[in-house]
Amino acid sequence: MRFRVIHRSQLLDFVELLRREYEVLAPFRGRGRDTYFDTVTDANRADIQLHVSNPQYPPKRYVLPHIERLMTLKREDGTLRIQPTLDTPKRALFGIRSCDVAGIYHLDRFYLGRDYRDGYYAERRRNLLLVNVVCTDPEVDIDDSCFCVCADTGPAAREHFDLQLMDLGDELMVVAGSAAGEAFLADPLFRAGSQAHIELRRQILSDVRKRFKKTTSWFAATVRYVSQDKILDKTWEEIGNRCLECGGCTYVCPACTCFTVTDRAISPTEVERVRLWDACALNGFTRMAGGFNPRRAVHDRRNRRFFRKLAHYFIQRELTMACVGCGRCADVCHGEVGMPTVVEMIRRATAAEDRNPSLIAQGTS
Amino acid sequence: MILGPTTSNHPHRDTDPSRASPGGFAPEDNIYLPRIAVLDRVVDEIAEVRTFYWHFEDPADQEAFRRFRPGQFAQVSLFGTGEFPASLPPSPTEHETFFTIRQVGSCTGALHQLKPGDRFGVRGPYGNGFPMEAYRGKNLVFVAGGIGLIPLRSCIVYALAHRHEYQRIQIFYGAKTPRELMYRPNLAEWESAAGVECHLTVDRGAEDWTGHVGVVGSLFRKPGVEIPVENTIAFVCGPPVMFRFVIKDLSALGFSERNIVSTLERYMKCGVGKCGHCCIGVAYVCVDGPVFSYEQIKRLGEDI
Repeated sequence: MRFRVIHRSQLLDFVELLRREYEVLAPFRGRGRDTYFDTVTDANRADIQLHVSNPQYPPKRYVLPHIERLMTLKREDGTLRIQPTLDTPKRALFGIRSCDVAGIYHLDRFYLGRDYRDGYYAERRRNLLLVNVVCTDPEVDIDDSCFCVCADTGPAAREHFDLQLMDLGDELMVVAGSAAGEAFLADPLFRAGSQAHIELRRQILSDVRKRFKKTTSWFAATVRYVSQDKILDKTWEEIGNRCLECGGCTYVCPACTCFTVTDRAISPTEVERVRLWDACALNGFTRMAGGFNPRRAVHDRRNRRFFRKLAHYFIQRELTMACVGCGRCADVCHGEVGMPTVVEMIRRATAAEDRNPSLIAQGTS
Repeated sequence: MILGPTTSNHPHRDTDPSRASPGGFAPEDNIYLPRIAVLDRVVDEIAEVRTFYWHFEDPADQEAFRRFRPGQFAQVSLFGTGEFPASLPPSPTEHETFFTIRQVGSCTGALHQLKPGDRFGVRGPYGNGFPMEAYRGKNLVFVAGGIGLIPLRSCIVYALAHRHEYQRIQIFYGAKTPRELMYRPNLAEWESAAGVECHLTVDRGAEDWTGHVGVVGSLFRKPGVEIPVENTIAFVCGPPVMFRFVIKDLSALGFSERNIVSTLERYMKCGVGKCGHCCIGVAYVCVDGPVFSYEQIKRLGEDI
């Protein structure tokens, strides 16, 4: 592992180094428990949070904006002109958590893979530097819903970042994950590390892993059950009955990809075509012109979301599960059917089936 | 790191600065960018359904588009209203490009307002299409109900243009009333042409209707009709209720689910496997379909 160390007091110098080339985004604290990513300026840079409860509004919006103009359409004197639009500043995401790094990797696989390559996504992604910070402070970084240890995405990402910072106390370990990240390590801000640093990293990570409150260890079995269509309809129904169809889980999800497209007027002769995040939990998601909706009941739609995230077929295609264990869905869901709860409900339903004597009898006959 | 596996024809498009454009990447690499089309003329088919003949403003776009296959579709863009997916009723063996569209929502409504000479956007063709080459040497049975004839028209015209490549060709087409039979000139041609059997029916007759009355499946039992089951592909397109009954009839005749093919319709925003709206089970209808065998449709696990 190629790494350097930097003294704690020099962190802002590192941010300044990034700011020479990039618009730097970093986590800040808002009012109450609110945290958010924002552009670093001279005025706010002292308030950057190294340790922070992961912002609910996921940083995926820097590769897939919540609302994004794709093109403008202009109608004039009987002609129609369509002009693609794209504005992608070079950005560095300082403080992105390991789960969200995995989320962006998933989006890469989805938007850049298969038959068509999304040029808008590709350009934003090409201009984005990921500076991952490892979650090491159990009181601040890890909240009740985090389950990255089960999704195998954290607390320390192993790949897909450009640079990774890990708090070792007075010093921080800096690991390069790409050529772009490695180029930074040449700066005199960074000093060579020793075997002691590696040992300290190992120890801290080993301790942190024990501090997670949610260990949804049944994940692997759930993937298998979903893939093999072995989950009972009544379990999906129970999950569906608790869904309030707000779409919140998809808007905070770092791995959700669905969008809708709409035209908005700019002037009487010009419109902009924008894409916006969309949610399969919403009733109109599959409704066609004329009103026919092939996916009707709410449990069908819930089923859809978890199937898309957990089915083996998609994992094989995208090389990652479309859940990174960030726990945001569990935090925002009013009906308490976030991913950890769903995995638990499926486990319980399966356990109940195991205890069902009639099934055992069938199995032996 | 961001170069995931892709079937792209341009592996170096990212790194080649000559492909740069004001949009940040070349317009030909923009999968959401429609090309400008000009409406040539509009023909009424049946109530609320019209055929729109059009061509691309840029002849290069027209040439590129002409490589489409029967069963594929395109995304049609209306200024200020948005985009919708539309079947391609022409065959690549024909020279004109056109859509046949029922006025059913806001985008189709906006298209119906257009006058010859007006501009709109088209991108595509998209989807898998029917593997017509793989069907060489087989009998083809086309079963259409209502506007289900729109996507099948492409296959029928294609098959007749390559007549020597196929064995028997049969067309069974049903509509609610005689007034709702579409593509009249084509129907007349197919009814009188040699080498193709064309059977029409209507659910409710009219005074001037001397043909068959009954659902489309009843044509299979009409005296004189004999459908080969061995070495035959059955194309079925129509409303969900018609689809269910025709599947039953074909199964009763002995058709295997693998040899029954259809196209699925879904709400779509992108047409290129990204927006997620058309996803059923493990399939994205836009890129994995819209053509599926009945065997595949059953496995997807959603209503047709």
